[in-house]
Amino acid sequence: MNEPKKLHSRGVLDWFDPRGRQVGGWGFIINRISAIGLTIYLYLHLVMLGKLAQGPEAFDAFIATAKQPLILFGELLVIIAGLYHGLNGIRIALTSFGVAVRYQRALLIAVVLLTAAGSLFFAIRMLSIH
Amino acid sequence: MQNAPLSAPKPGEGALLWTLKIFSGVLILLILILHFLVNHYWAPNGLLSHAEVVAYYQNYPIVPFMEGFFLIFVVVHSLLGVRSIALDLRPAPRVLRGLDVLLLAIGLIASGYGIWLLIRVTGWGG
Repeated sequence: MNEPKKLHSRGVLDWFDPRGRQVGGWGFIINRISAIGLTIYLYLHLVMLGKLAQGPEAFDAFIATAKQPLILFGELLVIIAGLYHGLNGIRIALTSFGVAVRYQRALLIAVVLLTAAGSLFFAIRMLSIH
Repeated sequence: MQNAPLSAPKPGEGALLWTLKIFSGVLILLILILHFLVNHYWAPNGLLSHAEVVAYYQNYPIVPFMEGFFLIFVVVHSLLGVRSIALDLRPAPRVLRGLDVLLLAIGLIASGYGIWLLIRVTGWGG
């Protein structure tokens, strides 16, 4: 997703500049931050899944650790980031190919609402299981 | 908000990589829904045990293939995303070439490791 260019662009630092930012700009920033978080999580997840190759004791001990509240909170952040990034990705894919470009602001609001609803659903489910 | 398309290839990105990023993202979403439902929603405790993962892979041979493609799509999409963010910093051509080599190496190692892991788990106890 490309953000409208400013006259004196400072690259990545511009992401954190709230001045003159519209809804789409915030959508861009959250998309990028969620992308970075999900990328870090992806490679950590792959390393942790390596426990599967070490056998049942190593993997099941890891799963027991993963049920601690702090880890569960981290997983909830991953779910929120995944929902937002995925749904916003659909919006970007659609508008990139000229579909519903006129409604991109309404679509972004729908993305945020669906992310909030989905996150709440999974948070309740995680709390009820653990 | 403007009425122009939101996303387009950046200088240094190219139409092919941009299209690959968009399509891999859509494919990830489709497989992610299935991955998430099976591994975290239908699993009795929210997470599968080692025995459950092995049984799941061995009883449904399509699953390791699905997970393998999922891994490759995710790795490609994430590394193209990192490259896209790096382009925001307007790196020198030499730095960008070095980054390309690094990202390619990370992608190959991560994909190779993940596929090895899938084969190892699928053949567990055999």
